[in-house]
Amino acid sequence: MYLTPEQEKMLRGDYGWSVAKAMEIIVRVGEALGAEELVEITHAHVSGISYSTIGRYGLEFIRDLALRGGKARVFTTINPGCVDYSGYSSVIDNSLVEYQRLIDESLKEMKFKPVYTCIPYFYRAPLPGEHLAWGESSAVIFANSIYGGFTNREGGPVALAAALTGFTYKAGLHLLENRVGRVEVRLHTSTTLMPIGALGLWIGENIKHTPYIRGLREVSLDDVKNMLASAAASGSHALVILEGLTPRGTFRLEFEDRVEVEAKALEDYTGEECSGTSILGYVGCPHTSPRELLLITHLVKKYGKPRRGKLLVTIPAEFTRLYRDLISELRAMNIDVAAGTCPVVSRFKEKFDCVITNSGKALFYLKRIHGVRVKLASVKEIVKYLSGLQG
Amino acid sequence: MKPVITGPCFGEVVLVDSYISFFGEVNPDQGCLVVQENTCFRDKVFIFRGTRGSTVAPYVIYALRKNNTAPKCILVAELEPMLIAGCVLAEIPLFLIENYKELVNSICDFKEGLYLEVRNSELLLYRRI
Repeated sequence: MYLTPEQEKMLRGDYGWSVAKAMEIIVRVGEALGAEELVEITHAHVSGISYSTIGRYGLEFIRDLALRGGKARVFTTINPGCVDYSGYSSVIDNSLVEYQRLIDESLKEMKFKPVYTCIPYFYRAPLPGEHLAWGESSAVIFANSIYGGFTNREGGPVALAAALTGFTYKAGLHLLENRVGRVEVRLHTSTTLMPIGALGLWIGENIKHTPYIRGLREVSLDDVKNMLASAAASGSHALVILEGLTPRGTFRLEFEDRVEVEAKALEDYTGEECSGTSILGYVGCPHTSPRELLLITHLVKKYGKPRRGKLLVTIPAEFTRLYRDLISELRAMNIDVAAGTCPVVSRFKEKFDCVITNSGKALFYLKRIHGVRVKLASVKEIVKYLSGLQG
Repeated sequence: MKPVITGPCFGEVVLVDSYISFFGEVNPDQGCLVVQENTCFRDKVFIFRGTRGSTVAPYVIYALRKNNTAPKCILVAELEPMLIAGCVLAEIPLFLIENYKELVNSICDFKEGLYLEVRNSELLLYRRI
């Protein structure tokens, strides 16, 4: 691999141990992928910062980099941690707070922006063609597919290494020649009757090459976010090209296959029937946008407060300050708002019989991590069910 | 057979003919799959199609090494950056199999006790007698 004199110095240790270690990770991964050079990035987003998911070895790795002088060389944001940073949630277990604090202190020491969210594009929307090094599969796929940013699905340590060096390897989706839609996916109108998360899970599991999706109409950007996150959970997609949405010039089309999806195909991806006495409704995977918070407020006002179970909403940490009145209103309606975390990267305080969520990604992980039954439904159906208006 | 991260690769074969999310589908304390009972890869040659899901995967792979539950080496049909990163951190030899289906068919002819060695970019299968 060709390295500039500056990059050689980083690798040699002229800028300290942390930069050298970070550069070594990037170069070795890049070489394995056949990269000929590195590329300068403008924004790193670091996943794998929750103690609940990375454990003590991940904590030690991050602490080492911070203690030995690692500092962000580019704008760097971080994923959710395993605790509710607002401290008000009765659903999220904060018992790992001491360990999470050690991780958080290390990240702040390295000058990473403590946003604790999986929607970093809320803080800085990428430009088409801009090179990024993002972890968090749902953010990566959104950056590539909606903004036309160029990023691979960097594992947590690679995104961290890119933050400390300002570079990543130039391979995969950093090259236009690899951003090629090969499977044309047509959506039958019947698919609009199914939860959008189910469509994402189906795409992730059944389409192996980059899909080009036609017919995704009359859906909100929040629905697209949900669909893409689900596809990135059940599959390994980092880019799903969406007709009329993905910026031109950031992809090419060379179809090798065509498929049409009907509602029937999605039936196996809607989860299990919900029963039992302890039910949790969940919205916020990926984290809710301000628009979704307004939607939930509107729906709860219309259909009533949750009575048959709790309703958990997860938001970026800073939303408690930015949207203080809205969050207070939601809490006054018995809605459990947890900030800077989510159930995928944390633990529950209690055992639930079933979770009803609008998120295909949450369905994929919650049943594996928490061993709980999960059912997919729209936000409206969740609110109606919890209020007792829907069976 | 393309070596991605070089190193010795010899041991009993564990084949999972699917995509795996190391986060959520692997227990790093035991070196076993969560989704498929009794499938453990500790000190074995772990073969699967490729990775999917969370980008936390490298830390889970790193934890496998620290917990002494890591496989001897990993062989996959498809590569993802995060799998490579995990194997770099954990120092697990990683190989890309070009004729994956052929290998799966060969392995499936045997029920258990099959050993595999990578020698000079060639795959050698042995059966315990």
